Amino acid sequence: MARVVNTSLLQKIKKHGAGRKLDISACFNCGNCTAVCPLAEDSGGFPRRVIRMAQVGMEQDLLASEELWRCYACGECTQTCPRQADPAAFMAAARSYAIARYDFTGLAALANRSVLGNLFVFGLFSAIFSALLLTRMNAGGPDLPLFHFLPGEWIHNIGVVLFSVVGLSAASGIASMVWRFWRKRVREGDALSIAAIPGAVYSALSDALTHRRFGQCDADATTQELAAQPWHQRPWLVHASVMGGFLAMLLATTLDFMFKPIGSVVQPWYLTRILGAVGGLVCLYGLSIVLLRRAQGKEHPYKKSSFADWFFPVLLTATVLTGLFCEVIVYLPSPATLGHDIFFAHVVLAMDLVAMLPLTKFAHVLYRTLALALFAWRNAPAKAAASVGAEA
Amino acid sequence: MNTHITSDFTPDALIIGGGIAGLQSALDLADQDLQVLLVERQASIGGHMIALSKVYPTLDCASCITTPKMSAAAHHPNITILTNTEVEGIDTRDGVHRVRLLQKPTYVNFDKCIGCRLCEYACDTEYPDPFEEGLGAVRAIAVPFTNAIPQKAVLNAEVCGTCGACARVCPTGAIEYDQQPRHLTIHTDAVIVASGFNLNAITVKPQYNAQHSQNIISPLTLERLLAPHGPYGRVLRPSDGKMPGSIAFVQCAGSRDESIGVSYCSRVCCMYAIKQAMLLSGALPLADITIYYMDIRAFGKGYEQFFQNAKAMGINFVRGKVARIHPVEDGDLSLHVETTEDAGNPMQERRHDLVVLAQGMIPGWQPSDVTPVACASDGFVATPALTAPAATTVPGIFVAGTAAGPKDIVDTIAEAGAAAMQASQYLYQKRSAVLVG
Repeated sequence: MARVVNTSLLQKIKKHGAGRKLDISACFNCGNCTAVCPLAEDSGGFPRRVIRMAQVGMEQDLLASEELWRCYACGECTQTCPRQADPAAFMAAARSYAIARYDFTGLAALANRSVLGNLFVFGLFSAIFSALLLTRMNAGGPDLPLFHFLPGEWIHNIGVVLFSVVGLSAASGIASMVWRFWRKRVREGDALSIAAIPGAVYSALSDALTHRRFGQCDADATTQELAAQPWHQRPWLVHASVMGGFLAMLLATTLDFMFKPIGSVVQPWYLTRILGAVGGLVCLYGLSIVLLRRAQGKEHPYKKSSFADWFFPVLLTATVLTGLFCEVIVYLPSPATLGHDIFFAHVVLAMDLVAMLPLTKFAHVLYRTLALALFAWRNAPAKAAASVGAEA
Repeated sequence: MNTHITSDFTPDALIIGGGIAGLQSALDLADQDLQVLLVERQASIGGHMIALSKVYPTLDCASCITTPKMSAAAHHPNITILTNTEVEGIDTRDGVHRVRLLQKPTYVNFDKCIGCRLCEYACDTEYPDPFEEGLGAVRAIAVPFTNAIPQKAVLNAEVCGTCGACARVCPTGAIEYDQQPRHLTIHTDAVIVASGFNLNAITVKPQYNAQHSQNIISPLTLERLLAPHGPYGRVLRPSDGKMPGSIAFVQCAGSRDESIGVSYCSRVCCMYAIKQAMLLSGALPLADITIYYMDIRAFGKGYEQFFQNAKAMGINFVRGKVARIHPVEDGDLSLHVETTEDAGNPMQERRHDLVVLAQGMIPGWQPSDVTPVACASDGFVATPALTAPAATTVPGIFVAGTAAGPKDIVDTIAEAGAAAMQASQYLYQKRSAVLVG
């Protein structure tokens, strides 16, 4: 099939790497990055092939390539790139571009392309949630319990609507990625078996939860930088603590949503409370290392940070910190005005976080897991065929 | 040691480096009746070229081209050669270059030595032969190599045990254990820098693990293995003497790679790898030979045809930059590469007996440290004038060959001729101005 080279795609992706001085045009496709990558496998070489897609303007192929998400940005390719074209930063920019393209509202494009756009979307959501909360906020003295200050039912109702809207938005993004993947497989005549889907989903979820590949990524690294770090500061462990802590908090919030009477005050040893508090602390540990490393900017994968790289962990840190503060003040006899303000901020930040899930770097929880499943799905028949061939 | 030259000697031109560039420049100047002093750091002139097996694209024997040049220079009435001599600095004042030289002791009186090699046969101390890239052994006192010029024995004081055996057998009493270094200052009107190149370290890319395997070799080592008078007389791999059945050439292993700070192309590796592959397929008719490359740069006259001939001979060309090399069992090596020509199976782990890393060319000497000559950002001597390719930033100092940047023998000889021509023109103009003035 004839293809028309479209050089504008590279320019568009470069905008997503703004501030990183992304020099991917220097790439001459030698393939060192792919060969040096601890995660590239036979069936899907990256970054080189993905870079090539961007260079010649194969946008549909780029957006259909789950390889984009199988990269964990260990930086091995960037360190050994003969052209210093920074393939790892390119992959990050391309992921940001994909998030923008999978989202149909256009908000993700706005949030991912520029600092101002990012702040605008954040401001917009914060304003909406603040306005919604203010309509039912109860004035009162410093002694007013938190869930009277902002009625629990109201927060609950906003939450239900928010989760539904975000769920739909995320579903559309996922559908967009799956549809492109499917079309590419059909176009290339790959056989995909429906029966392989559960296995693929299982492998993706277990991979996402155990961080197996992420661990492999830094275990294989020959770079002294990664090897020199103590175990408790290895990227995969840091990421696992952020994600694990977040999941614990999410679980605690969900359980509270479903089972805890709205607005009731429980004892500190209540299961979900402990779960939330421990999750928050674990998450905070991971985030503090991430932010510290980004501020130092010395080693991969934290060497170069775009605004979006900062925005998501900072938002998450703010949410967790305010949340932990609220955990404490509910047990104080009087929350005081500061307590009210922080509770208000926490609710708004938490809602922002959820609302911006499909729009920011946060979206990687959806797309990366999905990509792992799609990759496992694509490989399932190939593996079966290979094993049959081996027996014969 | 040649002790006839003193600071009173004022040659018309001084040439730094006795490789093919320096020899060609010296001969071209001397044939114009100009007095030339040729200064060489090593014990013999000939440079890298005399150690090569054959040269591309004609597959001529390198010795057969270099030895007559060396011999012609050594016998030329207008050329004086100082070996074992280093340039410590150049001070340029009023158009005169004062070149400070350090003549290192050879512990052999060159006037007395007749090159009979009795000392070499009597000596019982051996060390890895630098001429054979460390593969063979050489005695502590020896003529540097078979066709070395001058054919004089040189004693390596770092390994010599001063047992006195050589002095006892020497028929002319040439051994002088008490020789001291000599400092000379030569006044000259023109200097040609022909200081050549070095290869960067074979361990420069840690991903290639060259320090962990004897079977990852330098291309210069392979030249010696291929040379008819090489260390083994045949191609054997260094670790165990096995005849290699599968040989890999990893191109761009020390150049075109900004991650190791050498962003330029060394310009010779594609062609010598093809040449070595051809010679190997003659030496080892059953061996599989693979060249891993990013792109083949066959830019000179007849080079593309040479490349096509190699492909027709059955040498495998695989497009892809090798990312990692790991030693595996039996002394073999495993190469990890993404091949862009096999879309169905791009990631490949390929096993070879012997791997040749195309190391990058770096300057052999940094004149900018001790002379007013400026170097370009790549470290080679800067040649700012497009229309005078051999002119440096200093009037009267010229540059030839790989001192000015990576280039092959063909280009080096052409440039050495150009440098000689520019130097003689400079001398003529300077002197006629003096006469007229």
